[in-house]
Amino acid sequence: MSDGAEREVLNCIGALCPTPIIQLSKAMKSLESGTKLILRADDPATKSDLFAWSRLTGNQVSVIDETSFEIVKA
Amino acid sequence: MVTTGAFDGERPLHPAGEQVLLAAFERGWADPNGLGGASAQARHLLNAAREEIAGHLGVSGSEIEFWGEPALISPIALQGAPNFHSGKFIVGQTERQEILALAHDSPSSVQLNVNHTGLLDRDRLIEEIESNSTIAIQAANGETGVRQPLPDFSSIVGAMNAHLHLDFTASGPLIPLPTYWSTADFPAKSWDGPSGIGIMLINKNQRWAYPFSRATNRRSPESYSLPLVLAAAAALTGWLKDANQESDRIRNLISMMRQVISRTIPEVDIAGSGNKEESLPHILSISALNISGERLVNALAKEGFAVASGSACVASAIEPSHVLQAMGILTHGNLRISLMHGVLESDVKRFLALLPGIITQLRSEDGA
Repeated sequence: MSDGAEREVLNCIGALCPTPIIQLSKAMKSLESGTKLILRADDPATKSDLFAWSRLTGNQVSVIDETSFEIVKA
Repeated sequence: MVTTGAFDGERPLHPAGEQVLLAAFERGWADPNGLGGASAQARHLLNAAREEIAGHLGVSGSEIEFWGEPALISPIALQGAPNFHSGKFIVGQTERQEILALAHDSPSSVQLNVNHTGLLDRDRLIEEIESNSTIAIQAANGETGVRQPLPDFSSIVGAMNAHLHLDFTASGPLIPLPTYWSTADFPAKSWDGPSGIGIMLINKNQRWAYPFSRATNRRSPESYSLPLVLAAAAALTGWLKDANQESDRIRNLISMMRQVISRTIPEVDIAGSGNKEESLPHILSISALNISGERLVNALAKEGFAVASGSACVASAIEPSHVLQAMGILTHGNLRISLMHGVLESDVKRFLALLPGIITQLRSEDGA
């Protein structure tokens, strides 16, 4: 987030699997290609599922910290 | 709804074992260690069962120990290895939880990663192994059906003369023992034998000591039930005969499922390569994106299909499947399909015809 641009934040803290991934997939539908979004989620499955989600959908994921992830729409 | 497609891996006792079990309980058996005619007959039957099982597994009868607590076989076999408490303990990331718990408590343990198809990191094994190491390897994984290259690992461990424990819980005798091994775990359930009985193999050319009583020659608690041993032997003979006739047919059905699912369902992960050398013939694990495993299992149950799931929202544990995580596969929306001998092709085809529509419907209901 070094470019200083504001990001849409999807807060899924407290939501259990697979809700964070489903909410993320829904949120991506309205985004333009290249748009960035921050996902916050603390379910133990989310981190590994996000990388599988990235592989299956082509969207990019990078880890900010244990509960925050930056998503870039493909 | 009547279940017509039992794809959840819950198998009844093999008819050959059931017949022996009922007869044995009806008759009542004496203690094979006692004196007198009844005990002598019990001893004779026990030895015959031991030799029958030994013949099928390709070992000698003296290498077999019967256990009434099958879940303890692998943990105890490992703790009885000569250098378990002093050498390195090497395990795969996709081992059973009780084995990983042992590794967690071990002062010197190494976890081998698996690649995306579930195969263990061979180079890391070569790098880490020492002559006093203890290595635990599953012949195949029960969640994904991924089969490890045992002959290769056996050569690597054998070259170092280290302790190699093999777990055949998922495969049973579908996978043969490799040339070099030290101990092995075969629960009778792995060949549709009875619950509550399992076999620990102890290679006669390897050192091993019962960890709870090293001062004696005892190698197990000997708390097993004789009728269960007899039923296990009969079930094994019957099951192997069935497997010879059914394994290729079932592998073809699983291959068809892989192909149809990958063609008809978008955004789905299918575990493993599916290659014959790298998979069991009867297990398939798939994970569909944006679906709860629980809802998927329930929707299939309404259509008459019993299917298991490794998703955290369905499994008893809160944590997601460590096996799927280690392979980098989706942990939600998971279905663990296990086809048993006698499965009808028409049931498999009906399942494949229904599954895409069910997944589309569930995704649509969640707006994903």
